[in-house]
This record gives sequence, structure tokens and C-alpha cells, in this order.
Amino acid sequence: MKVISVEDKLSVNKFDIDKDVHIRIAEDICQTCNHHACIYVCPASCYKLSDGGITFSYEGCLECGSCNIACDKGAIDWTLPRPGFGICYQYG
Amino acid sequence: MNIIVCVKQVLDPDIPPAKFRVDSASKKVVPPEGIPPVINPYDAQAVELALRLKEKHGGKISVLTVGSNGADKVVKHAISMGADEGVVLSDETFEGSDSFSVAYILSKAIEKIGEYDLVLCGRQAADWDEGLVGSVVAENLGTSLVTLAEDAEAVDDGLKVKRVTLDGYQVFVVPLPAVVTVSNEVGQARLPSGLGIISAARRQIPVWKAEDLGVDPSLVGSTAARRKLFALSVPARERKCEIIEGETPAEAATKLAVRLREAGAI
Amino acid sequence: MEQEFDAIVVGAGPAGSACAYKLANAGLQVLVIDRGKFVGAKNMWGGAFYGGDLLNLLPNFCEEAPFERYVTRQKISFLTEEDCLSVDFASPKFKEPAPHGFVMLRSKFDRWFADKAQEAGAVVAPGLGADDLLWDGSRVVGVKAGSDELPASVVVACDGANSGMAQKAGLQKELSSEDMKQGVKEVIELSEEIIEQRFGLSGKEGIAWEFVGSCTQGLPGGGFIYTNKDSLSVGIVVQLDALVKRKVQANDLLEGFKSHPEVARVIEGGKLVEYSAHLIPVSGINMMPELSRDGFLVAGDAAALVLGTGLILEGANFAVASGIAAAETVIEAKERGDFSNESLSMYRRLLEDSYVLKDLRTFRKAPHFLENPHIYNLYPELACDVARRVFIGDGQPRKTTWDNVRDSLKGRASLLQILPDLWQGKGAI
Repeated sequence: MKVISVEDKLSVNKFDIDKDVHIRIAEDICQTCNHHACIYVCPASCYKLSDGGITFSYEGCLECGSCNIACDKGAIDWTLPRPGFGICYQYG
Repeated sequence: MNIIVCVKQVLDPDIPPAKFRVDSASKKVVPPEGIPPVINPYDAQAVELALRLKEKHGGKISVLTVGSNGADKVVKHAISMGADEGVVLSDETFEGSDSFSVAYILSKAIEKIGEYDLVLCGRQAADWDEGLVGSVVAENLGTSLVTLAEDAEAVDDGLKVKRVTLDGYQVFVVPLPAVVTVSNEVGQARLPSGLGIISAARRQIPVWKAEDLGVDPSLVGSTAARRKLFALSVPARERKCEIIEGETPAEAATKLAVRLREAGAI
Repeated sequence: MEQEFDAIVVGAGPAGSACAYKLANAGLQVLVIDRGKFVGAKNMWGGAFYGGDLLNLLPNFCEEAPFERYVTRQKISFLTEEDCLSVDFASPKFKEPAPHGFVMLRSKFDRWFADKAQEAGAVVAPGLGADDLLWDGSRVVGVKAGSDELPASVVVACDGANSGMAQKAGLQKELSSEDMKQGVKEVIELSEEIIEQRFGLSGKEGIAWEFVGSCTQGLPGGGFIYTNKDSLSVGIVVQLDALVKRKVQANDLLEGFKSHPEVARVIEGGKLVEYSAHLIPVSGINMMPELSRDGFLVAGDAAALVLGTGLILEGANFAVASGIAAAETVIEAKERGDFSNESLSMYRRLLEDSYVLKDLRTFRKAPHFLENPHIYNLYPELACDVARRVFIGDGQPRKTTWDNVRDSLKGRASLLQILPDLWQGKGAI
């Protein structure tokens, strides 16, 4: 069975991507973080390790809120996208 | 100023290509189950222009749509943006109508409403991109017509319309009543307000059938269509990704330029 | 804005729609808001609804609801890397006198259920989210949605696992990753014929299939497969903090799960049509917030009303039951003209008297017990190893099953390690 990447999985989903960004991170905190929980708990791989810090994208966010709960450094400011935007599950 | 806006429900343009399917045998698009159609984005912009005109000059905005299942949703969307009222034009005989027949049905409904100064349509629908309906409605109603409007305002002798051209714009003054098709340059359609959504949600949208409109059944439906669709298929898409690397940005850019030239892209 | 609604229900999931349906049927003015572009757009689950709550509320459910299949088989499998030992339970009682469960896709079901509430007279407004609560002193008097203020006598928060409303009402504390599991799921399209052939089903028969063991690489959680009409729901549920400790993504576990021979066999040739994820509050009564305050009730996942016993993980039936209890409470409060916390405390009493809080109390020790890693590595391995010894003839003299168990335990665990698990399990699950 071919392993499917998260990016390819997200490409079959319907999103209404908002221009307003609903995730913000405090990069200086991420630089000193000792666990980078966000990259493991995000099912959409929105967070990536880069030069010891974190880069993120919000477009593929599945709005589960895992990052917000798992980050205990207060580095992630995650909110829900504006109503009507974001993931639209066809099946759920 | 009393404005009638014609809107169409289209397949949500934000569905990913993977969800887009056609049935080649029946030559129809198969809408993805569970993803409701939306208001044609150009039509939402026509509603936006109508709202701006109403804010400036007062009056009433009525919305018309031709369609069956769930078509009231797009009328409700326009109402949630701020339109005053709307009607769904729906009848079994309308099924399979082409743009000419749709324009005929709309014209009948507009005549039934009677009092209007302006009819607005989106420049084209995001599904078939034909851009015919507005023009044919003007022809049917015998009014003046301006296409591709990016702005409009009422003046003493009618409506001043700014029309988009390839590298600039034209300004027309047309007598009212008139039909104007609205281009995307009008700017983003406003999002519905909370109270607008609630007001629309509790509204029952009236339905006018063929007999309410005095529509001649021989002029609508698939049998009246002036064109036949020959074939329908999803084009095969191929995509390739190459990563061009370099020690410095300048080196990477040079390699990229060489590669693009090889590929005949530049 | 003048107050025109008796109740505002935040979130059109099973709890919200059940509540709104009941309220509207009693003639109350009810508004349901949901932040999805359409109802169901934000909602996801594993795939099945159990119990009679929906049937009681909606007598025509079996004829009208867009469910995929009945649950006519319950299967549980213990997985190691290669092996699979299953218990496959089928019973005529799954069909008669009433269906035991329904396999459903949430987005479809939620839309249908919200339409029922709307037909009953509720105003259902998707595309509208609650940003905050409206207060009059310590009393909740409505919600704020964007720049609009929407007043109501009572707000019923049914906004799911990540309940912003319960937190804003000061009832739920900040959530912790120890209290949450993450579910990730793929909907995999396959033809009806292939599904029925591979699973031995016919008509509207369906399977709810749970997995424990290597599918989560030994982390607390499990895998699942539900048979929809013409697709499979295939997913993993895993403890959120365990992902961080193990430094693994749930999707990696899901890919591993899908490559297990027993799973790969049934999804072979299928086409991925959706990938989804959601959080599940799993600490049961230990994390349950206060359920009401002046002008405010909380129901469903937002109140952490989820039961996990290891063999089952259910929330939707608790959501519906709590939504109905909230509605009954609001109806009486309206009659009394009193929406104070004291008046609304009837809600808690109703839940205490129903299976909702009784079950959560019975299994209050289960969440802690289910953190035991033995459940996810040692026992599935033991079970498969014993099965291998019992079933495989290798030319050696056969041993009794008891001796096979003893041999299997050797080098893996001592009885002294297992006895405490048994003892704990006895009280917990």
C-alpha cells in the first residue's frame, strides 16, 4: 500500500480559505522550545521544523485545536477561522 | 431606485479538482453529494453593487433565480447580504433550459414584478462562463444594456456606468430602465451580517411556476435549447515538480532561467 | 436588538439539533447558529450512533434518516505487526426489536437533523458563529456574533470538544492534552458490491470494527473501520499527549494501520475522498464542567459527555440525550419564567437520573485505567501469541491452552505484573 502524504490527503478536502490568518506563533518562543509538540499533534502538518524554529501554514488546518492544547509554552495563538471559512467536510 | 438582481446557483468553485466529476454518458456535471451549491460569485458582486446603489439612492432590491433544489439558498444568501426580497423561478418544464430560455424566464418574472429601474446580472456564471443571460434579458425587455460594469451611480438622466475595458474604462450614461452586467472589478461582495443570516434563515422564499409567469412551455427546457452539448469530459491534468537548487539565490535563479528556456516557457 | 429568541443553541451537531428540535416542537422560539459554511461542515466522528435516543425523538428515523448501514456486527481485533485476533459478534438482537446502531457520515446526518429542527420551527443559521457571550452581571443573556448582539433567555452551548462557550462561561477550565484523544479518519470510496463481498454483508447490514494494539504503536487509543454504503471510514484514535511523548503524528499511525495485512486487504483499490480530524474529550466525569449557570447550559462534547470503556468510545448518544435534557429543562424554565442557575439545575438532575451520568460514574476509573500501556502492546501480543500456539501445529506435541498461556507469558510479563491490571480493570471497565 502506497503511503499517502498529509499534503496529498488534504488536497481532496474542500476548504474555503480565508484571507484572514487564524494561526499566529511567537517564533522566539518556538526557537527555545524543547518538545515542539505542535509538529506531532497537528494532523494536517501545519507546523514544520525549520532551522530549530517553527514555520506554519494555516490553509490546511482541520480546526481540531490540538496545537492550541498541546503547546504549553504559550507560543501558539490559534483561533477558529471566521464563520463560513476553513474546512468544509463533505462526509465527516 | 428599484433594482432586480438575477442570480444563479453554481457548483461551489472552491471544491478541489478531486471532487469534480462528470458523467460523460449523460453529459452532465455530477455535483458532489453533500456540498451545497453557492451563489455565483459574479452575481454576489451584482448584489454588492445593488446594495451600494440602494445605500446611496434608496429603493428596493429584489432577487430572482431560476433553479430547483436548494435554489432558495442563493436567494437567501443575497437577502443575508442585505437584499429586500426574492423569488425562485422553478418548474419541471424549465429543466435543461439553455441561457436563452433562462433569460426568457427571467424576463417574464421581471415583467411580472413590473416596477423596476435597473436589472443587474453578474458578468457570467462561474460554471459555464457564457455571459449571455444579461444581454438576452435586455433584448427581451427592450431596455438599454451596459456590460462589464465596475461602478454605477444614478444621475439626472439615468444611470452613469463605468465599464471595464481591456486597458482602461468607458463611462456611459443610459436611460432607465436598463440592464447592467457587473464585472469582478466592482470589488469583493460583502459577507452576510449575523442579523442578515438570521433574517434570511427565517424567510420563506416564494416560488413562481411557469403558469404564474405566463411562460410558453415550448420556449423552455431541454427541447427548446438552441444548442446541443456534443461531449463533456474532465481534462487530464499532469503536473510535475522540479526543485532547482543553487549555492546562492543568483545561481539558483540562473539555473531556473536556463531550465525555463529549455522547457520553452520563456 | 429586541429579544426574539427564548433560546440560542450554539452548534448544530447531534446535541444542538436534538435540543433545538425538542424546543421548537414545544413552541419555543429557538435560534441555532453554526460556524460551518453549511451545517455539518465542521463535524466529524468515527462513524456510528448507538442506542434508542434518536428513534425515540424521531420515530421515522429508520425510514427518513440518511444513515449508511445498520450496525449488525461488532468486531474487535487485537493487532500485532502481522497478526490479528478478532472477536466478531453478530446477534439477531442487533436488528430486533429495534436497530442497535447506525453507521452514519456526520456531515450528511447533521444536515438532515438540523433540517428536522428547522421544519419543527427552529431558525437554523449556518455561517454564523458565536464569538462571545452577552452578560448582564453574572447572568448570560445571549451571544455576540461578529458585530451583532443576539439576546436570548438562555444559551445552550453545543459547540463541541473545543467548547469556546463553556470556557467563556467560566465553566470549563483550559483543556489539557491528557484529557483529549485525537481522531483522524479517511473516507475511502469503494463500490457497494465490493464492500458487501469483503465484509460478508447484504442489504443494509454493516460492521463497526474496532482495533487495539500495533495500530497505535502501543499508544493509548485504537483503530476503527466502519462500513458506509459505498465507502469505508478508516481511522485512528490516539491520546494527544502520547503523540508528543512518542514524537509521532496520528497520520503516521493511520498509514501504519492501513498497511496492516488485515486492513490493507479490505481497503485495497479504494479511493481516498476525505481526510478529517477532531478532538475527543476522554476523561469523562473527571473533566466534566459545571453544567449550568444563570442563563446558560452546556451539552454534548462541550460538556465532555463521552464514554470510553476501552471496548467502546461513545459520545453522540450522550450528546443527543443531553441535548434533549437541556431542552426539557429550558421548556420548564420558560413556563416558570425563571432561567436562573437554580431553575436550570434541573438539567443536571435529569442527566443524573439517566444513563448519561450513571454510565460516566460507573466508568469513572476507566480513563485512568486505559492509560495502561499493557493494554496496547502486551495484551494484544499475548493474545495473538497464545492463538498462534493454540492453532499452529508444528509437529511438536500439543500443550494445553493453560500451558500455552504460561509459555506465552514467559519473557513478556509475570503474573505479578498482570494481576494488578486485572484488579484495576475489574473496578474500571
